[in-house]
Amino acid sequence: MAKKTYDLLFKLLLIGDSGVGKTCVLFRFSDDAFNTTFISTIGIDFKIKTVELQGKKIKLQIWDTAGQERFHTITTSYYRGAMGIMLVYDISNAKSFENISKWLRNIDEHANEDVERMLLGNKCDMEDKRIVPKAKGEQIAREHGIRFFETSAKANINIEKAFLTLAEDILRKTPVKEPNSENVDISSGGGVTGWKSKCCS
Amino acid sequence: MDAPRDSSPAMAFEKDALQLTVEDVYDISYVIGRDLLKISKAGAQVSDLQFRIVRVLEMFEVLVNKYNLSVEELKMERDNLKRELDRVVGEKSAEQGSTLGPDKMVVDLKDPNRPRFTMQELKEVLQERNQLKAHLLIAQEELQLYKSGLLTGPHQSSESAMVEVELEPAIIPVISPQITTITEEDESKDEPKDEFKEEKTTIRKLFSFRRK
Repeated sequence: MAKKTYDLLFKLLLIGDSGVGKTCVLFRFSDDAFNTTFISTIGIDFKIKTVELQGKKIKLQIWDTAGQERFHTITTSYYRGAMGIMLVYDISNAKSFENISKWLRNIDEHANEDVERMLLGNKCDMEDKRIVPKAKGEQIAREHGIRFFETSAKANINIEKAFLTLAEDILRKTPVKEPNSENVDISSGGGVTGWKSKCCS
Repeated sequence: MDAPRDSSPAMAFEKDALQLTVEDVYDISYVIGRDLLKISKAGAQVSDLQFRIVRVLEMFEVLVNKYNLSVEELKMERDNLKRELDRVVGEKSAEQGSTLGPDKMVVDLKDPNRPRFTMQELKEVLQERNQLKAHLLIAQEELQLYKSGLLTGPHQSSESAMVEVELEPAIIPVISPQITTITEEDESKDEPKDEFKEEKTTIRKLFSFRRK
């Protein structure tokens, strides 16, 4: 008889300009709440949320980064460990959209080559303040071969969908574990076991 | 008849050569001239010598004058250099305090909100914070499991098995074995007396005192 706490751990990372709503997007997903006061993230923070996909309990550890340039050296050191990265811009902020290419370069430079990427155009509830057309977001996502959603943390639009889609994409690439590997002897598994060696054990 | 001035002109002969002034040279000339006058009746030879002596005294005058001017000039030069040195040293120390390159920042040490920590220190503090947060989450989850009666036996959850989140930023994502480890219901559930020989979970550590 076995009861699992979770089957897989996925590490996700939120990046993008300061003030686009990364923390709010995460807060909506993890706590289903929204706060209008802007508190700039200091360096790096994280939240945990367990979801169920294809009968598997997947623990998501989601790292929330500071968008401000001054934290650059701290935040980029977290790219390497991420299996999925959400790049967020603000549809009412042209600069945050222009900077997408800069953030994509950061991913190329600091993240794993096979990291799953996703583009989010946040604050889509603010239609009256929109500067970046949805089509432009779709276009740049297409050019880079990544998924795209317009989201609103405030109005709770597409938030859960975005996270679940990203987790699904990672799950799809995740090697299926062998049935008898469920009873891994944990006491002997203290060493660093890589993802790949794990699937072959 | 010799009405000496303030002091006897002959005193000039007693002075140190380097201390001589042009006045002393004039005193010497006066004394020599007076002495020559006493023997001038001796004839033309003395008269010739007299001109030569005057010439030598004139040269002496020039030399003493020149020497004293040089000493004065050197003293002035020395004082000028001293002042210049003080000025340059002063400017230099002022420069280090205020004028900086384009990448430098001026920090007001009296400002309570001045930057005090390096990026590396901030990084370490954040890492520690996140580690503590991870431990808290793990403990909360464990507590939840206890409450729901899922976690009871000794084998299924050594503390390391519960450490689920990875905090080291630079490491390539590693799914450690414990992640896919399942927490099993343990058969020894019904014999709780042996439980605490095994490794203790975080919660168990917190609560073990009750059982002693």
